[in-house]
Amino acid sequence: MHRATLLSLASFVVPVVLVAQQTTVPHDSVQGAVRTVDVRTRSLEVTSGVGYAIRVVRLQVPAAVPITDRKSGQGTPINLAELKPGDVIRVSFGGRQTGFVAYTIERVGRMEAGVP
Amino acid sequence: MTRYWIAALAICGVAACRRPQLGDTLPGVTTAQRAQFDSGLKVFDSTFTPQVGLGPLFNASGCGECHEDPVAGGGGDEVEHHAAVFHPELAGAMCDVLADKGGPVFQDSVTPALHAALGIDREPRPADATVVAERSTPDVFGFGLLDAVPDSVILSYADPNDTNHDGISGRPNRFFDGRLGRFGRKALVPTLREFNDGAFSAEMGITNPSVPLEGTVGGDSLPAGTDPAPDPEIGARALVLTDVYVRLLAPPAPLKQSGEAKHGRDVFAQVGCTGCHIPTLTTGDNPIAALRHKQVAAYTDLLLHDMGPELGAGDICFGLATPSEFRTEPLMGLRFVTHFMHNGRATTPEQAIEMHAGEGARARDMFAALAPADRAALLAFLKTL
Repeated sequence: MHRATLLSLASFVVPVVLVAQQTTVPHDSVQGAVRTVDVRTRSLEVTSGVGYAIRVVRLQVPAAVPITDRKSGQGTPINLAELKPGDVIRVSFGGRQTGFVAYTIERVGRMEAGVP
Repeated sequence: MTRYWIAALAICGVAACRRPQLGDTLPGVTTAQRAQFDSGLKVFDSTFTPQVGLGPLFNASGCGECHEDPVAGGGGDEVEHHAAVFHPELAGAMCDVLADKGGPVFQDSVTPALHAALGIDREPRPADATVVAERSTPDVFGFGLLDAVPDSVILSYADPNDTNHDGISGRPNRFFDGRLGRFGRKALVPTLREFNDGAFSAEMGITNPSVPLEGTVGGDSLPAGTDPAPDPEIGARALVLTDVYVRLLAPPAPLKQSGEAKHGRDVFAQVGCTGCHIPTLTTGDNPIAALRHKQVAAYTDLLLHDMGPELGAGDICFGLATPSEFRTEPLMGLRFVTHFMHNGRATTPEQAIEMHAGEGARARDMFAALAPADRAALLAFLKTL
């Protein structure tokens, strides 16, 4: 009986936990060039795509989102304002009702310098 | 013994010794690869309809509608339109390919459902585009070999600051993620697979596992009911087969050169054409044996070169490429080409040479100054490619 109760609880709790995780677990990532940065609204646009099917991904960047720079080799923290158009960044992000929200941002280089 | 030689010659005549025909596979493909190539040709030559995913914006209803002359995989007389905004004063952001407004490819056809919903016959061009450029249809012969050339080979020809003072300063283009580009008239796209997969979306409006979401109409969402086919509109297998087909398409084998053409080959080098049109590239290691460590008479360095303000005035920026920078066009299969340059405006090789300016000006002027016999020899050489 005790085991049955635990199983019942588990069958209820697990979906709740999964639903809760859906708002925090990244569901996608993109590596592309920064198109615009708006520090005031904490948003940025990233250009990427496949061949000539080029797309712009618009992202909100909450204040707590870690933004790092790979150049130092140790993932040095940087500010949103330090990202510039033409920077190549790797972003993990998820979808919310208001749009895409960044979870992590790593600056990996500059487009003109190339990124292997 | 005689019978043996006759049999051997017969086998040689129909197989190994047969001159590759236009549209054939590269030599040395396996039976399995040949079967995939044949299946890929069927996808390439398919005609898509709105019911199976075409559109609602598109330039063509199938790959083979444009890449058709003289056989599937060849060029075509279709011209499409690309647009961008060029801000030379904005370092790092000088080129906006208008991806948020449907760019850079602005499709020239719409499905009946989209026409009924919006009353348009083509994708609207953004008002802020600084230029709308024309693009002709290239052939795709030998593209698998170009894909197999290592980045290091391409970069070895780059001389962005013209340190050798030859007036030629090729530089690489980069995709938005920083990888080296090589495909397309501006060398933006890094790999053949991406070039092919993206074309299903950009040219035919067909979503696929690589591009799972439909594009917009000038940046706006599609009206309800205008895109009835479920996404992705083709599956991974069709995508792979198409890629195998294009990847294994052999470049046209150069013709045997006459004495005049051989002289023309030397003149081609003497006037400086080979500064950009590098005669031979070598592929690197590759999982496909037919592409591995092969010499390809590509006549390109796959780098960007400034071709002067006249060509640049009517063209777009793309990635790092300014409007006047173009990738050196490969010359393999040139004898089958009927429209030359990125926009197809030249109808003869001579006209195309005359349009060269910027880094190509010196070679153009030397060509113009050649004795008639040398000039004819150079053109005879080009007709063997």
